Amino acid sequence: MTQAIVVEGLRKKFGQREVLHGLDFAVEPGTVFGVIGPNGAGKTTTMRCLLDIIRPSAGTISVLGRDPRRAGTGLRRRIGYLPGELHLENRTTGRRMLEHFAAISGPVEPKYVNELAERLDLDLDRQTRKLSKGNKQKLGLLQAFMHRPELLVLDEPTSGLDPLVQQEFHALVREVVDGGATVFLSSHVLSEVQQAADTVAILRDGGIVTISTVEALRNAAVRQLRFNAAGAEANDVGALLARVPGVANVVLRELPGDGAAEAAVEATATLSGQVQPLVQELARLNLKNLVLEEPDLEEAVLTLYTGHYVGNGNGHKSVSHTEGAHHA
Amino acid sequence: MPRFLPLFTKALTDSWRSTLAWALGLTGAIMLYLPLYPSIGGSAQMQQMIDALPQEMTKALNYDQIATGPGYTQATMFGLIGFLLMSMASVGWGAAAVGGDEESGLLELTLAHSVTRIQVVLERALALVVRVGILSALVFLLVLVLNGPSKLDIDVGHLFGAVVLFAALALLSGTAALCVGALTGRKVYAIAAGAAVAVLGYVFNAVGRQSPDVDWLLNLSPYHWAYGNSPITNGADWGAAAGLLGISAALIALGAVALQRRDVGV
Repeated sequence: MTQAIVVEGLRKKFGQREVLHGLDFAVEPGTVFGVIGPNGAGKTTTMRCLLDIIRPSAGTISVLGRDPRRAGTGLRRRIGYLPGELHLENRTTGRRMLEHFAAISGPVEPKYVNELAERLDLDLDRQTRKLSKGNKQKLGLLQAFMHRPELLVLDEPTSGLDPLVQQEFHALVREVVDGGATVFLSSHVLSEVQQAADTVAILRDGGIVTISTVEALRNAAVRQLRFNAAGAEANDVGALLARVPGVANVVLRELPGDGAAEAAVEATATLSGQVQPLVQELARLNLKNLVLEEPDLEEAVLTLYTGHYVGNGNGHKSVSHTEGAHHA
Repeated sequence: MPRFLPLFTKALTDSWRSTLAWALGLTGAIMLYLPLYPSIGGSAQMQQMIDALPQEMTKALNYDQIATGPGYTQATMFGLIGFLLMSMASVGWGAAAVGGDEESGLLELTLAHSVTRIQVVLERALALVVRVGILSALVFLLVLVLNGPSKLDIDVGHLFGAVVLFAALALLSGTAALCVGALTGRKVYAIAAGAAVAVLGYVFNAVGRQSPDVDWLLNLSPYHWAYGNSPITNGADWGAAAGLLGISAALIALGAVALQRRDVGV
């Protein structure tokens, strides 16, 4: 099966300023690919290149096997796009706006439009200028989904949506992906991408820092560990934890026993990597209490952000610095 | 089934309010000016007053022919108030068609759907042509209706030719606005270009008619191309009409090609 999106060496210059410094990535069909990065990292520019709204300065793009620059209208009918900055006409209703886009990009089943509107809790007959930001966003999502495209390109899709509608959106994404569609979405918050995506690319200053599966990120992420073990010596617990790969920041405290409770050791530590080796070791102890927190992926990503830049002397960041120097 | 010319029909239906407003404005202007001809333009008193004005002024205002019905209609309606209203309408629509749409952020979403950029420019230009055509047809009918009661004595064939030139002249400023909007993506540049075509055309005509030393300015004035031989009195110069429409067509084509080749919304 051909990949849904293949981007090779994508560069984009606006005047003298290069904002994308040679991106390479591929998106497998039937998956959700998330791009995260701070504002100005190049997420929107990348998406606009996929839609042929702006043109790359260098590099090649293949979307659903076609070059968006040359494929024309047939390709865009197979894509649903939500712009990062959604602007809607004022003097119209959601329904009339959707009818117009359906007339261009159809065919669209009216039944599906109504079903989507109901799921997202959106009144299509209200004037668009009276819609709140969240409701405008729903309308934007609707026009992207309604013609059942093979590829969805969604720029900050959940921005402005309340948590319940976000859940509904994630369910919708899962459904279309189960139906064979591919979703390419961006966000500046990881928790959102983490929930929706199979693969995550981290973009910063117009370069990809890393591409990884959410699973791998989770493994790389750091979890907080805390437990109480009864009838153990602090030294023994310390030695046991030292045998587990990925455990660090160990703090041990002896809790003296009294009439009611046995003497115990309270331990806190951090764990990165696999959980299984830790559980095996902990099974030797008489645990009274155990807390292993959800990994903080934000934290993990932040370490990756910095880690890779330090690692690669010729990283993208230094390129952008040079560009900046030319500018100044 | 994709609908026939969806962008064209949308551009037309979205602007029915402004089309109606300009139609009312033109109707008001015609109803105000033309019925006054028997008491103003045709009267000997008025002619004496005009004769007393400096010649430069009467030439600049096209009042040198005001003593005849066709001349009066040309000077007040086609040459001045009608020209002003139609040019404003046309420039407004032309600037909104691409430049305004892009600047407001709407064009990006339209282009993400299954349309080509050339199609966007051509369908919206067609909507501009149709709206200018509707207003011009209205002007033709109103003048025709008032022709008898207001004793204008205009030849219907000449009126038709004059209205075609009137429409072609207004369309030229509109397509200039559309073209510059497509080139730059900025509404204000588009309006400036359209207004420049209309205003400079008018000024070059007014100044060029003053003396033979500056009459080369007339060659640069679309206003003069259209009205130089007094079409409502003498019949249309169809070559001039074709020329004006040809330039408009070229401007539309240039806009389409320019939009096709550049980044949108940056």
